[in-house]
Amino acid sequence: MAAAVQTETVAITINDIELHVPKGELIVESVKRLGLEIPIFCYHPRMKPVGMCRMCLVEVGFKQPDGSVRKMPKPQAGCTLPASEGMVVYTDTEMVHRDRKGVLEFLLINHPLDCPICDRGGECPLQNNTLAYGPSTSRFLEVKRHLPKAYPLSEYVTLDLERCIQCGRCVRFTEEISGDSQLAFRFRGASMQPSTFQLTDFESRFSGNVIEICPVGALTSSKYRFRARPWDLETRPGLCTLTPCGTNVFYDYRSGRLVRINGRTNEDVNEEWTSDTTKFGHDALYNNPNRIQVPHVREGEAFRAVEWSEAYAAVLGACEGKRTAVLAGTMLSNEDYYAWQALARTALATNHLDLRWQKTLLPASQMLKARTGLPGVQYGIADLENALAILVFGTNLAADQPMSYLRTRKAWFRNGARVVVAHHEASEAESFAHVVLRYRPGTAAELAAGLANLLAPELADATRIATPEWTEAQTGVPADRLREAAEALRGTEFAAITTHGLFDEANGVTAYQTLALLTSHAGGKFNGLVNHANEQGGREMGFAPDLGPGGEAVTAGMNTAEILQAAAKGEIDTLILVGCDPIRDFPDTALATQALENVANLVLVDSAQTEACAYASAILPMALPAERDGTYTSSERRVQRMERILKAPGESKAPWQIAMELGLRAGSSAPYFHARDVMDAIAEQVPAYAGARYQDIPETGVRLANPEGLTRSNDAVVQALQSLLGGR
Amino acid sequence: MAEYKLLLEHSHEPEFRTLHGYLARGGYAALNRAKGMERQAIIDEVKTSGLRGRGGAGFPTWIKWNGIEKEKTRPHYLICNADEGEPGTFKDKQLMETTPFLVIEGMTIAALATQADAGYIYIRGEFVDAAKSLRAAIDEAYAHGYLGQNILGTGLNFDLYIHMGAGSYECGEESALMSSLMGERGMPRLKFPHAPLPTVAGVWDQPTIINNVETYAAAVPILAKGGEWYVTLGANTKNSRGTKIFSVSAHVNKPGNYEIEFGTPLMELLDLAGGMKGGALKACVPGGSSVPMLNAEDCQNAILAYEELWETGSMVGSGGCMFLNEHTCIVSYTWRTAQFYAMESCGKCTPCREGTKWMLQILERILRGNGQPGDMDLLMEITKQIDGRSFCGLGDAAAWPVAGAIKKFPEEFEYFIKNGRSMVDTPEARAMAPRWAQRAFSAV
Repeated sequence: MAAAVQTETVAITINDIELHVPKGELIVESVKRLGLEIPIFCYHPRMKPVGMCRMCLVEVGFKQPDGSVRKMPKPQAGCTLPASEGMVVYTDTEMVHRDRKGVLEFLLINHPLDCPICDRGGECPLQNNTLAYGPSTSRFLEVKRHLPKAYPLSEYVTLDLERCIQCGRCVRFTEEISGDSQLAFRFRGASMQPSTFQLTDFESRFSGNVIEICPVGALTSSKYRFRARPWDLETRPGLCTLTPCGTNVFYDYRSGRLVRINGRTNEDVNEEWTSDTTKFGHDALYNNPNRIQVPHVREGEAFRAVEWSEAYAAVLGACEGKRTAVLAGTMLSNEDYYAWQALARTALATNHLDLRWQKTLLPASQMLKARTGLPGVQYGIADLENALAILVFGTNLAADQPMSYLRTRKAWFRNGARVVVAHHEASEAESFAHVVLRYRPGTAAELAAGLANLLAPELADATRIATPEWTEAQTGVPADRLREAAEALRGTEFAAITTHGLFDEANGVTAYQTLALLTSHAGGKFNGLVNHANEQGGREMGFAPDLGPGGEAVTAGMNTAEILQAAAKGEIDTLILVGCDPIRDFPDTALATQALENVANLVLVDSAQTEACAYASAILPMALPAERDGTYTSSERRVQRMERILKAPGESKAPWQIAMELGLRAGSSAPYFHARDVMDAIAEQVPAYAGARYQDIPETGVRLANPEGLTRSNDAVVQALQSLLGGR
Repeated sequence: MAEYKLLLEHSHEPEFRTLHGYLARGGYAALNRAKGMERQAIIDEVKTSGLRGRGGAGFPTWIKWNGIEKEKTRPHYLICNADEGEPGTFKDKQLMETTPFLVIEGMTIAALATQADAGYIYIRGEFVDAAKSLRAAIDEAYAHGYLGQNILGTGLNFDLYIHMGAGSYECGEESALMSSLMGERGMPRLKFPHAPLPTVAGVWDQPTIINNVETYAAAVPILAKGGEWYVTLGANTKNSRGTKIFSVSAHVNKPGNYEIEFGTPLMELLDLAGGMKGGALKACVPGGSSVPMLNAEDCQNAILAYEELWETGSMVGSGGCMFLNEHTCIVSYTWRTAQFYAMESCGKCTPCREGTKWMLQILERILRGNGQPGDMDLLMEITKQIDGRSFCGLGDAAAWPVAGAIKKFPEEFEYFIKNGRSMVDTPEARAMAPRWAQRAFSAV
């Protein structure tokens, strides 16, 4: 289909070279085809062009029928000028050079020359353009503008108004991309400045991006300020392991220490944006002063640093013939999860393993795939921007899935997609929603039934009681609003986005499943996303009490809540915690504390000291994601690889390595020499990952295909739905 | 030639502000004639008349009207640019205050020709009286079927709204006006060839006509008496037809609005305004503060018409004609003009935002007696760096008066820079200078 669509091209001439470009392409982009560059400040390819800074002025003319060129009297802004037939552009004339010099002179008269102490110095577009095109001296004899310096706009963003060149990139970002409209220009003329409302806090989940797109050092990171010069930094591509989106980033480090995170372009995932969690969250993780350096075992009240071999012996001794359970955090790599579940199921002979920390834990075997025959994720993040209608159900999308949120907003902003937002509380997505369905907390399932009644004829019988009026009585969502929402979605291949956070609501499981079923019957596509970093990968690796790698059926063990309850009752002898702390991660802190108190042997595999350390009998230091090789599966089921970037402190090892070495000692594991070997084993056992071997993963990651041959009807869900509706 | 009162004929009669009085003096004859015409015929009539935009640019009005899609597929809008902010210009103010029905009828004719659904009169925020007068007239027109549904049985549904500006000169620029009208910051928008013309995608992205108050008013006599008649006015000029209201101010005995036929010599306009006051003619800014000034010699031969005045070195602009007498210190005058543009620059583009401020700073330094030898060249350079490089016309408008003044009166700038004092050392000149620059003049 896409190949059949031919865009109209026009013939234009740039510096006497003729070329064909798509009609309407901006000249600033066209010149790139010739390897030329037009200097810019305000222009950003992902935002609407405005032509503010005038740096991109070029001479433009039009070919006349007699072959001569009629030049336009004024120079034109290349960043706003669409290519049209017969256009002649000159980027290298005396006039163009004079104009560039003029604009730079104007920009510099009030720009403080504090480059030696400016964070941007060394990677500053203003510096670069001045060096390339600017005047060498200034004719400005007057007093420079003086404005507040280092004004903290928020905890993360510091504003230096003197350095600002009023290009409007930050303002446009908050208006066009993040949509929170936190920044705007105030005052006019030479006094114009970007500002939040009355310089109040810059409240945004995406504020960090304005630091990166600022072409000068006006918006700087409060965390990175004065910590390094760009030329001191080493930069390596990596991934965000804090959000479930698989955001691509650069890790910038100095002397082995992480100093900042910047967005990295991946058109399929994050374009070039990052959420603030991504940009500012890694600092606390990697620069934690309480990192564990070497293995420890408990001796009485104190810990003793030991060799790994001694630590392993202690761990295996504590597990031998004991009732053992393993809990893991959500930030491990696929290789880690695979190795640990293999160890648990062989050497430790237990199926009590889990990585989920929600209040409500649906048995993995009953997860959507098994119960309704639907895959969890049908629309990729990038596909969302082409959806005509999007239903955001039971989630604060901007918080839970920041990159899906940006695409959803883009679908609305660029293509006018109709967005229906159903949630029990206010969220950012409501700002551009076509219809808002604000239901009473705990009535998500009733609302889903009400939508099913309107949208899915096959479910009409099962949901006959759930008329819009009944739904209004149950959920508080006006019947007309519900009908309006159904109209917005009907007849489109809409995307229904929800997350596993829905399980924490009353009847959330039924709501989730009803939504999946109704979406399937109404011709939509369902996206049931996990909310934690690599939770998706962990599940697929079989780190679950009732499903092995690739969904292979196993004797069901206990889930997180059951393990903790059993431990609290003293029914677990040995509990192994890999990169998690139940006291921090589990909603019921009292139960978690009680569990840790009553476990005879608590083995901790973690990167830094946590509260759980107080109860540990052995502590093994773990390397963090950027300190080792590994693959991560994002919530849209995209497998991406991150190579080792930083050096792990002390004797820390990758969790998969710890699991393997324990397995080798117990005689149950094959030796892996590198994470790649673990992935080879995974690829053999989990069919979906066959294409995810290290040599096969492209730079942008590989999105796993959805299983084929799905059935659409499922009696179990309908029964659950009916019992819910009937019970009312 | 004397005054030719076409639009201002009944301006002095309070009766003319009421529908009754307007009808009694031949009001709505134009619309009554237009309603019997094909839409294209109305536009052709305007084409025949040679009417050009009275807001400053002098763009042929019929081309705008003709640019609107003929087969209507979406809402069409009409905007009346009544944000008259050009220093020295006050013609629209008088038209709106004293002849509101002319504006309303003119807009209704335009609506008829372009199938517009709604019209917006964007009035400068300070013009409260004009808005009140228009408000009363619009209410009366609605009450008698001259606005609203099925106007005069034509089937035309046309609503007219008044929108008050908030005090920004920039909002008189048509695209900035549209931004402001839509509730955005008053900054100019991309224009052709960077974006579609307003007639294709104007306000709210719909086809839009935007004309000056005087332009709409002029459509009334054109439709009433025919374009063939209108074209005889100003027939001796190259391409300026009809009448034009000039707002005469500064050092004249009878400042005020004077409507004249195009082709009238500038000096006759001065005579109409009662001649110079307080001293001989030194310079004239014929079309609002943004146009280059003429010296006394230029004024003798200047003809008030678009092309003729351009050849003399200035422009008709919006018709804000200021005559300056011999006691005017041109440096002080230029500083004052520069200050206006520096304060009114919206800040969107670099040349205007930074350049206007810089010019002001240099002029202020000269006025304080700290001029440097290269300042004149530098000012000229800066005007060249702004002119034609800014996003909208405000940058040009800020550069021309400075460049024009330096070109016409270089000796005054040289003297001021060299001696730190004004060449025009009279008590009158001192009185006109800012307080902090008094040292540049002899004490009385």
